[in-house]
Amino acid sequence: MSRVFVRLARRGCSDLALNARASMGAVFALTLISFLAGIFFMTLATLDRQLGIARAETVFQVYWKAGTDLDQVRSAWEEYLHLPGFVSVKTYTPEQAMNELGTRLGRGGANMETLFPFLSGGGPLPATALVALIPQGQDPEKWLEETSVYFRSQPGVSRVASTPLRDELGRAWKKVSRYVIWPSFAFMTLILGLTAGNTLRLSVLARAHEIEILRLAGAYNWHIRLPFIVSGVVMGGAGGILGLLLLYFLHTQISDVLNFPPLLLRIYFPPPHMCAALVLAPAATAALSGMLAVRGY
Amino acid sequence: MFYLAAAAIVAGMIRVRHLSHSFGPHQALKDVTFSLEKGDFVFLSGPSGAGKTTLLRILYASLPIQRGEVNVADMNLNRLDSSRVPLLRRQVGVVFQDFKILPLRTVEENIALPLDLRGLAPKHIERRVRAVSRALGLEGHIKLRCGDLSGGEQQRVAIARAFVVNPKVLLADEPTGNLDPELSLRLMELFKQFQAYGATVIFATHSRELMNRHPGAYVMRLEDGAITYANWPGAGVHRPAQTWAEPLARKPASDMERGA
Repeated sequence: MSRVFVRLARRGCSDLALNARASMGAVFALTLISFLAGIFFMTLATLDRQLGIARAETVFQVYWKAGTDLDQVRSAWEEYLHLPGFVSVKTYTPEQAMNELGTRLGRGGANMETLFPFLSGGGPLPATALVALIPQGQDPEKWLEETSVYFRSQPGVSRVASTPLRDELGRAWKKVSRYVIWPSFAFMTLILGLTAGNTLRLSVLARAHEIEILRLAGAYNWHIRLPFIVSGVVMGGAGGILGLLLLYFLHTQISDVLNFPPLLLRIYFPPPHMCAALVLAPAATAALSGMLAVRGY
Repeated sequence: MFYLAAAAIVAGMIRVRHLSHSFGPHQALKDVTFSLEKGDFVFLSGPSGAGKTTLLRILYASLPIQRGEVNVADMNLNRLDSSRVPLLRRQVGVVFQDFKILPLRTVEENIALPLDLRGLAPKHIERRVRAVSRALGLEGHIKLRCGDLSGGEQQRVAIARAFVVNPKVLLADEPTGNLDPELSLRLMELFKQFQAYGATVIFATHSRELMNRHPGAYVMRLEDGAITYANWPGAGVHRPAQTWAEPLARKPASDMERGA
């Protein structure tokens, strides 16, 4: 039994070489199908990553110690204009901060020193800067940490607070993604499988004559099916791997095409489970269709 | 020939009782009855559409039995489950007019196909394939692709594939239809040799010359699905006036073909 099994499996592989043109055609078709499915997965992965992360501006509130040399503070403010992802900066000297406070308190631009004479001479408020930046890199949390450390390390800085403003769309996406990603993934895998199966079925049709001869020679169903299953796995797997390689090549070419301000959209390669689906789905369905297609001959 | 001599065939027989078969409104076989014993050789003749191929297809279980009873190689086809059809086909060799070989595979692979399916050891397969190839004059072509061979050589490959498993029954559906007369006669000799070792052979043909050259052979003529001539006791001949006549006395094929 095992001898027949091995022999039939080997025949499944050698059949590919015998029917080279048909086999290559099927592999080519499967490659394109996998590649197209891969592009869909890549779009899905990019959408998921981009919408799932904190994309909006993060504002850092930097407070200097009271009495810090204002020239030194202004020099730091100049430096902030050149930070990566810089959007805007609002600065407040102690006097400006007092006035701003007065305005916020509803005094309509009244001078705080007039209202509170004991605040004359700069008052207790420190120099402050509100720096809005767009997160950089793939890990926003890490970026946030590193940027906070940078601000804290500035001379005279007393305290740094950050208020990462998360994108509403991103938060909404996070809520619905599990209802979108997996069904889309399953749907695309199904299409991939059906198309792969149909391609293999055509290849089986081309070999109907061979099936008839095998039946005449006394072949059992599994004698006929096994070589087709092996051929299906090899062709489906090869098509899937080639499609994946094409996708990888495409990704290397376009991953940063949209990664510039204001889009800053990086294209992500599909995660491992999607890559596995690109190879396994055509292989499995091709094997299955190879098995089912011999029915009726 | 050593191989064929050594591989003497065990008993093989065919019994067909009141077999009828229809394709829609067209009745392809009408109440056909005959029996053949081990080592019998019968020419199955008749015009195109007479039912020869239908009869042969039923005998190798390619068509279901609609009415009647059929036994082939000690197997009752009426009770044969589809999963056991391969067992029947391992007892029955079939040769066709259009050869039905795998053109992309070598002569050796084609002949070895039924042995491969049985899971025999490679050495054993090789020995048997070489013996049959030698018997059929194919030993020089064994590594060639069948698609590169002439029609006569391809037909010999098909016959070798049928012979190699020592079938009890050999069914040939106009195997010489695509061959020239000289080659037909040579192939005919191969079938006769095979019969001599005990196989039961049904040889469907249009060729009167082939039948005339083997005057001692049984002949069964089908017309419009019914047996109209048979020259051995085991066949029931249909006549318009009566459903079943007494089996004919054995007569030479040439006499039968003249309508005697």
